[in-house]
Amino acid sequence: MPLSRFFNTLPLFAATLLPAATIDYLHDVKPLLTQHCVRCHGLDKVEGGLRLDTAAFAREGGDSGSLFKVRAQGQSLLHQVLTGTHEDIAPMPYKKTALPASSIAILDAWVQQGGPAPSNEEPGKFIHWAFRPPVRVTPPVAPNASWPRNPIDHFILARLSPEKITPSPAADPITLLRRASLDLTGLPPTPVEIATFTAENPEAAYTRAVERLLASPAFGERWARPWLDVARYADSNGYSIDAPRQIWKYRDWVVAALNRDLPFDQFVVEQLAGDLLPNATLEQKVATGFNRNTQINQEGGIDPEQFRVESVMDRVNTVGSAFLGLTIGCAQCHDHKFDPIKQTEYYQLFAFFNNTVEDGHGKSTPGGTLEFASEIESADGNQPELAEARLDLERYLNLHGGAVTAWIATLTPKAQVDFGATAREALAVKWEEQTLAQKRALYPLFKTSDAEFRTRLNRVSRLERNERKPVSTLVMAELPEPRASFLFINGDFTRRGSAVTPGTLAVLPPLHASNPAQANRLDLARWLVDPAHPLTARVIVNRIWQQYFGRGLVETENDFGTQGSGPSHPELLDWLATELIAQHWSQKAIHRLIANSATYRQSSRARPDLDLSDPLNKLLARQSRLRLEAELVRDAALNASGLLVAKLGGPPVYPPQPDGVMNLGQSRRAWTVSRGEDRYRRGLYTHFWRATPHPALAVFDAADAFSACTRRLRSNTPLQALTLLNDQQFFELATALAQRVEREGGTHLDEKITFAFQLCVARVPSPNERHRLTELFHAQVTTSTHATPTAQHTEAWRTIARVLLNLDETITRE
Amino acid sequence: MGLGSIALASLLGPRKLTAAEASLAPGKILHHAPRAKNVIYLFMAGGPSQLELFDYKPKLIELNGQPVPASLIEGKRFAFMGTSHGTKLLGTRRTFAQHGQSGAWVSNLFPHTAKIVDDISLVKSCQATLFNHAPAKLFMNTGSGQFGRPSIGSWVNYGLGSESQDLPGFVVLQSGPRGPRGGAVNWGTGFLPTNFQGVPFRGTGEPILNLTNPEGINAARQRQTIDAIRDLNLQRAVETGDAEINTRIAAYEMAARMQSSAPELIDLQAESAATLALYGIEKDKPSFGRNCLLARRLVERGVRFVQLYHTNWDSHGGPGENLEGDFEKVCREVDQGQAALVQDLKQRGLLKDTLVIWGGEFGRTPMGENRNTTGRNHHIDAFTMWFAGGGVKPGQVLGETDELGFNAITDKAHVHDIHATLLHLLGVDHTKLTFRFQGRDFRLTDVHGSVFTKLFT
Repeated sequence: MPLSRFFNTLPLFAATLLPAATIDYLHDVKPLLTQHCVRCHGLDKVEGGLRLDTAAFAREGGDSGSLFKVRAQGQSLLHQVLTGTHEDIAPMPYKKTALPASSIAILDAWVQQGGPAPSNEEPGKFIHWAFRPPVRVTPPVAPNASWPRNPIDHFILARLSPEKITPSPAADPITLLRRASLDLTGLPPTPVEIATFTAENPEAAYTRAVERLLASPAFGERWARPWLDVARYADSNGYSIDAPRQIWKYRDWVVAALNRDLPFDQFVVEQLAGDLLPNATLEQKVATGFNRNTQINQEGGIDPEQFRVESVMDRVNTVGSAFLGLTIGCAQCHDHKFDPIKQTEYYQLFAFFNNTVEDGHGKSTPGGTLEFASEIESADGNQPELAEARLDLERYLNLHGGAVTAWIATLTPKAQVDFGATAREALAVKWEEQTLAQKRALYPLFKTSDAEFRTRLNRVSRLERNERKPVSTLVMAELPEPRASFLFINGDFTRRGSAVTPGTLAVLPPLHASNPAQANRLDLARWLVDPAHPLTARVIVNRIWQQYFGRGLVETENDFGTQGSGPSHPELLDWLATELIAQHWSQKAIHRLIANSATYRQSSRARPDLDLSDPLNKLLARQSRLRLEAELVRDAALNASGLLVAKLGGPPVYPPQPDGVMNLGQSRRAWTVSRGEDRYRRGLYTHFWRATPHPALAVFDAADAFSACTRRLRSNTPLQALTLLNDQQFFELATALAQRVEREGGTHLDEKITFAFQLCVARVPSPNERHRLTELFHAQVTTSTHATPTAQHTEAWRTIARVLLNLDETITRE
Repeated sequence: MGLGSIALASLLGPRKLTAAEASLAPGKILHHAPRAKNVIYLFMAGGPSQLELFDYKPKLIELNGQPVPASLIEGKRFAFMGTSHGTKLLGTRRTFAQHGQSGAWVSNLFPHTAKIVDDISLVKSCQATLFNHAPAKLFMNTGSGQFGRPSIGSWVNYGLGSESQDLPGFVVLQSGPRGPRGGAVNWGTGFLPTNFQGVPFRGTGEPILNLTNPEGINAARQRQTIDAIRDLNLQRAVETGDAEINTRIAAYEMAARMQSSAPELIDLQAESAATLALYGIEKDKPSFGRNCLLARRLVERGVRFVQLYHTNWDSHGGPGENLEGDFEKVCREVDQGQAALVQDLKQRGLLKDTLVIWGGEFGRTPMGENRNTTGRNHHIDAFTMWFAGGGVKPGQVLGETDELGFNAITDKAHVHDIHATLLHLLGVDHTKLTFRFQGRDFRLTDVHGSVFTKLFT
């Protein structure tokens, strides 16, 4: 029966799912058989004498005869069991939900064709698309198409054309400049940049702008953020104690590596195994901080081994999310339910990370911390630690407040003679009202030898004397003797199963270890970035793509397995993956390609014509409006206000935050607001406490740093509105923006409005917008309680600045 | 003004969900008729000792000081394992009596709670999986000891939506010497959208961060500002066709309403002296009792899920955490408020729609820790929680433990079962409330949980 006749009976599926005339076995059929059938009809189990793990077996049939032969009822056996219409055989999949009609149609069509398949298929072998190496096809150049600018566009157009969808026109040049600036550097363009841009030929100006942005140090700061999300970077240990940690050198390493376009293969190797490279440099060791971003539980009474194991598991899971795009963590307790990942293999990966020096309790471990003797913390950097130490001392002293008070009551005047002035003063003050200075003068008189008190007091004194410690950072280091690794039954570290040695997944290419008896992290890293590896390059280009379009070509960016969504544009994904490798793993090459593509440059205006056919914009016939990420919301405001301090790197900073945030965690931590330029640094540098993240970051969906985050949510809540409207730091930035407008914005009201508007959204206001803002200005002046025009104007500009910083457009990349 | 051409009403009125929203927010999911509409969860952070409060064990008193039978502890792991203390049985020093029609045993540490035993259902056979605070607390709140899973309150708001126009659907209140271990992850959304997150109000001062206008900005000026933001956002919505902007406009309106509704909520002036006395509230002093009253006010205003945390119940026996004076203190801190809450809800007819839950992340061992003063270790095999309202059958005592109080022996209620039951009372089938993440459908109850029907039949 010809295929066309078959499709006549199923017009729906023919139209939507099978634009191509033939069925591709590997692409269309095998995934269905693998996912739904082979568990019972495969290598391990041969129910009913039937195997479906290769097309050859499928053609053979089983105990009930051929699956393919058309029966008396005019249907194949396969069709009958799948639709539950066979008289004797139970509906398939057995005791599971029936396949959707569209999938049955695919299998029927394949059966009609006689079950064609490549001849080299191996029995029992799972070949999900993501486990096959990328295939580079020549970009499908459409004749007479003027829209494409580079290969990306050919792929996009080739997918749109059969659907009779035309791409959107390019966004206007200023929108494009702002889009590229935000995407490449996280900062909107400055007035000077806008002026330079508009003075040039738009075409050349755009390409030049992309090059300028790629070369900007801000590029590394912007692109470090999604990587640090994956690396679960934070400046504290997490769990309940959440003590501060120093690992910002690692954050700076990422920024620098991205800025110098360290090839992605090197980028991976240094982070996973920089310490094991021959003649490893200091920088390469710093890079291994990637795997020291695990949490540390310092709670009393814990079993440290439990939490050491947790951090090793976190490393395995992170390798899964960050590089493989696989939900490896599912195999921690049992074989993966859907993907070919055995529990044993999980623990083989575990074994790579099980030899490190840490103890699970955060005690100092030789080799696990790198000190920079030549670099000493700045005095300002000391302030938060000093505040912290004082809080700690006071907490301790307060435990004994009652006892000290009781002791004072027993003191005779004679006993007080030798007391110092501060202590004598303190005697007259209730404990609750005493200053720390008074408490700490009094306490040692009450209890003369208390080691705990001494330790705490010494820490405070040292910091007060401004003794400074060398900068340090957490790094990976191997134990001299490898730890034995075991499978844990049900993932429970107290139940050891068989011993395992380091190894990778059988479904992926083989590991080449320099010492096959004991493969190490360096072997693992090199295995990941072997050009033959089917996943690593696909996964990273997909995540880069996701930043530019709001959604990856594979929407489930952390699941390339059988339960993932599969690529919307498989050939493009493969082309980009192979292009990354062809460009010597240059990430900037991929950025350049995307930013210059016609696909990227499209307008983000909604397309009502696509509301039904492509509501989620998966086919990319337009761009999308994307709300800025948490850090960038503030960066944009800092930039507009003119206060932004473009200083790269260094210890974390403490911009203002509302009072009372820090006592939400178990241990109250200090938050001493940075003074001077550190108050106005980019959000990337804000000190991140895992237990109590800065509320303006949390409210805009910053990653929580508990585990690898490969995509942030974009929520839209009233708490965000309250933050932008009323938060002290945003109000401060609005005030600064207003002053800047009055200072630099020209003389006329109109000019100033344009200037302010452009600082926030780059474009000039429409007549309606201008009218509304002018009206607001006059309304503010007339209702002002201030007497002088100067004060009235200042107030009115501040209101306008607040309005502009709160606009949806200001916090959105259009 | 100046925007005559824009049909404001149509843009602010009911609109189709964007595709993204439709996939994220199912809104009203009811699988069967609900018994409860709201939840007030009184979380006793640190793990209160059931053996000093509800689970009366004369045999344990009799065997005080004896070594624990080896059969009970074989193969078990405890917090602070490997240390010497904690292998001898410890009988309670508290006086117990039976109360009410139900005859429930309650110790003299909870005199107020003893009076409401006929309004509540005690479950003495609760069981947990994890025995360290932070993971156990996460487990009690999210059904998993790992970070990144949504909390109960997030699930409930995700499933049922919020009924309050002026307040968030999930509010957290805290009291006691410090925040609960783990902090904000206990009321986090995990992989659910963050608009379902618990909003931690503070006991004093601003109940929600950034609720007051910046200094020097009066109400009129703030309104002018928000109006201008709205008008300009509307213009952009028309220009771009992006429905997300309408959501943001609505968010600003909610923010403005919260600026006025939240201070009213926290202002207890309107409450009678009798009510304040019932809860034992002292003027301007933050307390668990005040939070209980706030919880009632929140559910009155349609807030779906209110969670109160009170620390510190971690009675190991060391300084500040012994089973003597320290335990008495924390009992006093919660007793009157929690009893008042149940009574007050009942008087106002709110109890039938409001499920009240009381309990910690685990209980304490029958063995005592030989520190300076007495204390008990973390214990997951049997502990007591109580439930009231929202369809719960009052005046019950469910679940028995063995004569030493070590193991639950009848009607075991694991954390997953408690979650399943909570959702059931809200009209939700715990196996059907799912969210697809990382390639699989997640549930509050993971792949476990069965509804504890005795609680409400």
